[in-house]
Amino acid sequence: MARKDLLDIASLHREEIEFLLDQSTSFKKLFTRSVKKIPALEGKSVLMLFYEASTRTHSSFEVAAKRLSAEVTNFDVAHSSITKGESVRETIETLQAMRTDYIVVRHGHPGLPAMIARQTTASVINAGDGAHEHPTQALLDAFTIKEKFPDPRGKKVLIIGDILHSRVARSTSTLLQKLGVEVAYLGPGSLVPKYGPATIPRFTDYEAAMAWAPDVVYLLRVQMERQDVQFFPNVREYHRVYGITTARLAEIRDKGLYIMHPGPVNRGVELCDAVMDYERSLITNQVENGISIRMAVLDWLTPGGDFPKQEAYAARQQAGSSLLMP
Amino acid sequence: MLLLQNARIASENSPVLVESDVLIIEGIIQEIGTSLAIPEGARVIDARGRVLMPGMFDAHVHFRAPGFENKETITTGSEAAINGGITGVVMMPNTRPALDSATAIATVLENAKHRARIPVYTSGCVTKNREGEELAEIEGMHRLGVIMLTDDGDTTADPAVLLRAMQYATEFGMFFASHCEVPELAGPRALNEGVMSYRLGIKGSPACAEEIIIDRDIRLARAAGAHVHIQHVSSKMGMETIRWWKSRGDVKVTAEVAPHHLLFTDEHIGDYDTNYKMNPPLRTQADCDALLEGLKEGVFDLIATDHAPHTPFEKAQDFISAPNGITGLDTALVSLHHFFVEPGKFGWDLVVKRYSAEPRRLMGLPVAAIEVGQEANCVLFDTEAETTFTKEFMKSKSQNTPFIDQTLQGRVDMVILGTEILLER
Repeated sequence: MARKDLLDIASLHREEIEFLLDQSTSFKKLFTRSVKKIPALEGKSVLMLFYEASTRTHSSFEVAAKRLSAEVTNFDVAHSSITKGESVRETIETLQAMRTDYIVVRHGHPGLPAMIARQTTASVINAGDGAHEHPTQALLDAFTIKEKFPDPRGKKVLIIGDILHSRVARSTSTLLQKLGVEVAYLGPGSLVPKYGPATIPRFTDYEAAMAWAPDVVYLLRVQMERQDVQFFPNVREYHRVYGITTARLAEIRDKGLYIMHPGPVNRGVELCDAVMDYERSLITNQVENGISIRMAVLDWLTPGGDFPKQEAYAARQQAGSSLLMP
Repeated sequence: MLLLQNARIASENSPVLVESDVLIIEGIIQEIGTSLAIPEGARVIDARGRVLMPGMFDAHVHFRAPGFENKETITTGSEAAINGGITGVVMMPNTRPALDSATAIATVLENAKHRARIPVYTSGCVTKNREGEELAEIEGMHRLGVIMLTDDGDTTADPAVLLRAMQYATEFGMFFASHCEVPELAGPRALNEGVMSYRLGIKGSPACAEEIIIDRDIRLARAAGAHVHIQHVSSKMGMETIRWWKSRGDVKVTAEVAPHHLLFTDEHIGDYDTNYKMNPPLRTQADCDALLEGLKEGVFDLIATDHAPHTPFEKAQDFISAPNGITGLDTALVSLHHFFVEPGKFGWDLVVKRYSAEPRRLMGLPVAAIEVGQEANCVLFDTEAETTFTKEFMKSKSQNTPFIDQTLQGRVDMVILGTEILLER
């Protein structure tokens, strides 16, 4: 079951997912102890390669690696040769020469972590590649949901917002479906693609989506930075039509629904301030669970000198299946 | 003196291959018939079982010179053509500097004369530096033999500029080749908008980005009384738009389709394989099927490869960063045989008509044919042999093709042009 890299959710087997969620439970128990560190990755090096800004994911991985006793190096993109026009490929050749054990990479270009993984012996973890995948976010979301619904099969999660640009929507919906959870999308017609997976119902009307009777409402961050054209008129209108307004929060409270959000939250856009104090908001749980999930992932992956995944890559490419939705 | 014995001769006019001997003397086909006497001193080639057809002609290639000789040169590009059974090409003008003046055209044609073993023609830009604003030096280029104008790769955005160019250049007997794409809709990433672009998380280019300009440019040509040639159509609706305009018969429109748009879909991109990154992008199986139908019907007048070499380093980047385009000259004829002729989807007559005769007619050139009195311009093709497209096999300077290291059925055995045997395996 050992893997060199974690690049996507689509290629993860159900047993691997269950294993990681179980391991995360074990690691989370450490958090209540006074000494939260274990020597699992002692002597190992973790390189943080973040081409895009990140607070939560970056610090979460860093804390996770340090709790496993790994050495963490932050690759300073802003002061690297990248600013002199060095290509990613050249950067990777340099980093490979340094023989790091793990590379945690975030980049705006989809598929780039997979490309790095093919060129290094380090274990590569995709910490978000453009609008493609964010596998550890999906795992922490699933873990958070399982804490409330130990058997999540048949539960319903409504994902609201910018589905088109969201790697979280792709990864989390794929993973939840693998666990037997029903998923639906809600958002503006310009941001909910008609050609998404056929197994996911798509709503553009809030009332219709709520009539679908979700157990969890998962709000996505409106990613203004990925929108090179205007997809909706303004954020006030967005909040009114698709956001959790004060009135909608009352309805959600009455129904006892859980609310999730991958952060950072645009207050007054996806949700009103009061949601942050809602007793069934799982937003801070997600942040906390991010650390134990990332510990589980780092502990699970096996860096290798002989590119153990090359054959698997070739097979996947041949089948063209790695990116298929379940 | 060359005597090809028992070759199966292909022509654009008949699906039947006629077995005959062909005698070539001093570069001219002197005699065609059965059991021809062997003249003294003649070289005799046993061509039994092999197909003899006119040399192909590719009306859409990028030879990258001047400016990008690290990707391709006129020499390497024309050798790739010969390697694939192609005996004439038309270059696109998106070089650096762009081919937008008589001076630039003269330089290319002079180079071609000395550095290519086949005729290399070139198109010229519609606008200066392909920027879509000022008209290029149209008459000056025409004086040097240019008849096709295109801002290749960049649709002339302003319809008023294109309309004026059409009104002006048509008076010289020139025509327009259109790369059809609304850039604001297409985006830069060369992936069909659909299920695959969603899965891969890449902004897709919808087929309507192509369809709109196909329709626009044909309407402009109709208004100007011009001839427009629609390049590398990729979509079903694009094909149907051309079919509808052709059925009206009140505008001169021709069109081409590339082998890769007949063969591959966006599903082939798989794990971001940049060898399938091209513009217009690969679309769906329904589009492939419609394009094949359009080719058989004659909606597409010609097959052209859009041969677009890029260095391995450029293509080895991630999908977003890698440039658009694949090579096609080394592989086109064998792939057409392997995927279409051999399985019986169309015959050699279609290949000869669409990849040899019609492209030459489009360019105002004499059509090559295996007929007495014609200059020898032919390809001997073994349908039973195989070709493996290794790096060593390719003559193009770049190997950015999905066929790399694949084995397909069919082999170009010999290419003859006039008194020269350009290739012999």
